Amino acid sequence: MAAAVLSVRNLSVDLALAGRERPILKDISFDMRPREIVGVVGASGSGKTVLSKAVVNWIEAPLAIRGGEVRFRDRDILAMAPGEMRRLRRDVAYVGANPMGALDPTLPVGRQIVEKIRAVAPEIGGAEAARRVVELLEAVRIPSAKARFHDYPSQFSGGMMQRALIVDAMVSNPTLLVADNVTQPLDVTVAAQVIRLMRELTERFETAVLFVSSSLPVAREAASRILVIDDGRLVEEQPTEALIASPRHPYTRELVSQVPAIWREAPAVPRGSNAERSAVVSLNDVSQTYRVRKRGAFAGASELRAVRRVTFDVFKGDSFAVVGESGCGKSTLMRLLSRLERPAGGEVLCEGQDISKLSGAGLLAFRRKLQLVLQDPFDSLPPRTAIGRMLEIPLRVHGWRDAGRIREKVRAVMNDVGLPDALYEELPTGLSAGQRQRVNVARAMVLDPEILLMDETLSALDQTEQFKLLALFEKLQREHSLTYIFISHDLAMVRKACNRIAVMYLGEVVELADNDRLFFDPGHPYTKALLSAMPTLEERRYRPEDCLLEGEPPSPIDLPTGCSFRSRCPQAFDRCVRENPLLTARGRTDLSSCHLVSSPSAIAAERASRSTGT
Amino acid sequence: MSAIDPAFTALPIPSPAASSRSIARRILGRAARSTEFRIGLALFAILLLAAAVYPELSGIDPTKMDVRARLLPPLFMGDKWSWAHPLGTDQIGRDMLVRSVVGLRYSFLIGVASVAVTLLIGCVLGAVAGYFGGRVDTLAMRVTDAQLSIPMIILAIAVLGVSRPTIPAIILVLGLSNWPVYARVMRSVVMAERGREYVRAAQVSGATHARIILTLLIPLLAPPILLTSILDVARMMIFESTLGFLGLGVQPPTPTFGNIIADGRKYLLNAWWIATMPGVFLCLTLTSINLIGAAFERARNTIYGGV
Repeated sequence: MAAAVLSVRNLSVDLALAGRERPILKDISFDMRPREIVGVVGASGSGKTVLSKAVVNWIEAPLAIRGGEVRFRDRDILAMAPGEMRRLRRDVAYVGANPMGALDPTLPVGRQIVEKIRAVAPEIGGAEAARRVVELLEAVRIPSAKARFHDYPSQFSGGMMQRALIVDAMVSNPTLLVADNVTQPLDVTVAAQVIRLMRELTERFETAVLFVSSSLPVAREAASRILVIDDGRLVEEQPTEALIASPRHPYTRELVSQVPAIWREAPAVPRGSNAERSAVVSLNDVSQTYRVRKRGAFAGASELRAVRRVTFDVFKGDSFAVVGESGCGKSTLMRLLSRLERPAGGEVLCEGQDISKLSGAGLLAFRRKLQLVLQDPFDSLPPRTAIGRMLEIPLRVHGWRDAGRIREKVRAVMNDVGLPDALYEELPTGLSAGQRQRVNVARAMVLDPEILLMDETLSALDQTEQFKLLALFEKLQREHSLTYIFISHDLAMVRKACNRIAVMYLGEVVELADNDRLFFDPGHPYTKALLSAMPTLEERRYRPEDCLLEGEPPSPIDLPTGCSFRSRCPQAFDRCVRENPLLTARGRTDLSSCHLVSSPSAIAAERASRSTGT
Repeated sequence: MSAIDPAFTALPIPSPAASSRSIARRILGRAARSTEFRIGLALFAILLLAAAVYPELSGIDPTKMDVRARLLPPLFMGDKWSWAHPLGTDQIGRDMLVRSVVGLRYSFLIGVASVAVTLLIGCVLGAVAGYFGGRVDTLAMRVTDAQLSIPMIILAIAVLGVSRPTIPAIILVLGLSNWPVYARVMRSVVMAERGREYVRAAQVSGATHARIILTLLIPLLAPPILLTSILDVARMMIFESTLGFLGLGVQPPTPTFGNIIADGRKYLLNAWWIATMPGVFLCLTLTSINLIGAAFERARNTIYGGV
């Protein structure tokens, strides 16, 4: 066994904020060997990020190191002088969760990475450094790396930026890479690519990776050994498979049990009883087009077709899900459904009324019926308004005047979503993400809506919080007979909570199916690709190698001709270039748009020809 | 990413006793506990009281000349001082104390009112421009640019030279000449805030744009702007004296800080107190407002910062 490249011994870190001192990390000890990927898993606030920063000696006030040591190649880096540490940055690299915030928006990406090389390794010349950066950008599969070298951060997509940051970290051939939640902001298919890339890099450059993640399935994808942190304490350390098969510590056991099962068990998804299946929301051939300024041209605009001819019905009592990667038009669809925008074509019907034609009292009545729960728990609450007041505002908008009744209603809703009464006069400042999301739900519920539109409501929460909120949604649905429309990229959550699912790719619905059918018999290759990239704790049903080509979705400004998925589809053939497949029925209720799905009429025709032939 | 995970600064759920009071009252209570707030408030109250009742109570006419008692120094200065004129007299024997106090009235009225006009125009135009964007924004910002290109003095000469330089006219001119700065600041902060998700949530709950601007955005963004605008009150008082030099200010014999200072400047060597006393009053007034404002701002920050 090779000598440990990093060993952490009894590391303790405290929060040293006057009046609120408390320990963040307690007595953490572990070792890492070269080329090993070690996962660190824990809930938010458990101290994972602090640990990852302590390992690279980047603890700043108000945090303070209370004791212990971090030995990197047998030297305690916590006791190092800043100058010495700077030279060591060549060997210890760090990648954070927020790629957009990590690069200077006013400098080309390539130049910033060159700057970093020259800072840690001054002996390398500028031209040589640039050559190396281009080489590495190619290695992380950034297309036409030479040209991209001179691009600005705003011209990179999220996935490309994260890869550029990995280049930034790997460029000095570090011995240790600390990756703090790197896949969190990425789509599943891109995250899978990044994890694969990281694995390759450990082999190519002999780098050890400390892979911090809030999701156990993601850590399982990446790491060979996993550390579980709960409330600042290292509670368990086992090789990945052993940890999942036989977790020892109660916290780990809880964590494993909370990961939604995808294949093993059929979820208890809600089903509206067949007698009253009336459509509450229907989309009829809905399209939305934005005009954007043409890049690199003096004048002129190009059309961005964000949503293309979407048609589906949501029935009363359904939990309907719209899934897809970023840029597929989910958010535009959300804005259309909540009438923040009017569609460029087609119509959105809510109980038979075209919502784009509503105004005045009719619009307010629609607003009462359909409410929106937003994604970002920190951005979606006004920072300086007391929670009770926040919940009062919608009521006042809808004409409630009696202060006593308003207060009563708000308290009732707060109880419903599990917020203590004491928070009525509190600011949202001190709340955790989960509690903030409850406030968000309460704000939507206060108007007694029939339909709740959930825009990525759970994606910012850690697993435990997600679990609790899903239970809350279930309860609310039972008590208030709600219809949910989830907009999400998280298939595991969708599998657990939704009965009908629409998969979107580049503004089109490519597949529409019931939960079981979609997961066990996907009709569209993109659905299969999404399923294959989904991190789980179970045996894979679809192998990623068979399902998805490298790369990212094409830009919605210049859509490819024919089928929009063909650039990434492993099964693409000539017909896909020529014509765009239509949504074709597969069975009674399910639809999919792929040339490989034979339409019922085609099957019938084939049968007919066969019967005449024989 | 912020250096501190929000989870670390999260508070335990506060005790019910603390949470029974509303946010505004907690801020007020916290501000009232600080010494500087009390000093500021006491000073401000004294000045306000003096301005309100002293001229009538003392019965001294601020415009009454007394040639025998001209250029008397303030109390205990030199050898000619008298109890009848605690702050001395000016070149034609008018009592400095009563003139300063009456001047405080006018100057304060002019300063506060013109800042209010400035804030009203600037904030409304800026908020509307930042909120709606697009053509509204372009239009509002071009108007702002146009306003910025007109020098204040030219505007004053044009307006006050044509109409008579009455106090409302002066307030209007001063207010009109300063709003573009506020419009720009307000526009940029509203623009940043407008893209936040809670604005979208309010829209979905059915709130009109006017309601969102008035009940969500203005209460959030106005206080820091109000605090900076306090310093502008002093600037406006000085501007008024600038107008006085051109003969377009408040007309003598009505005393304002501006024209008292303008008068006193000729006697600065042998009667320094004429120009100094209004300055002292100006300084005291602004200090007291600033102390109160700063205490409020600090209380706001601590309460909103979650400490």
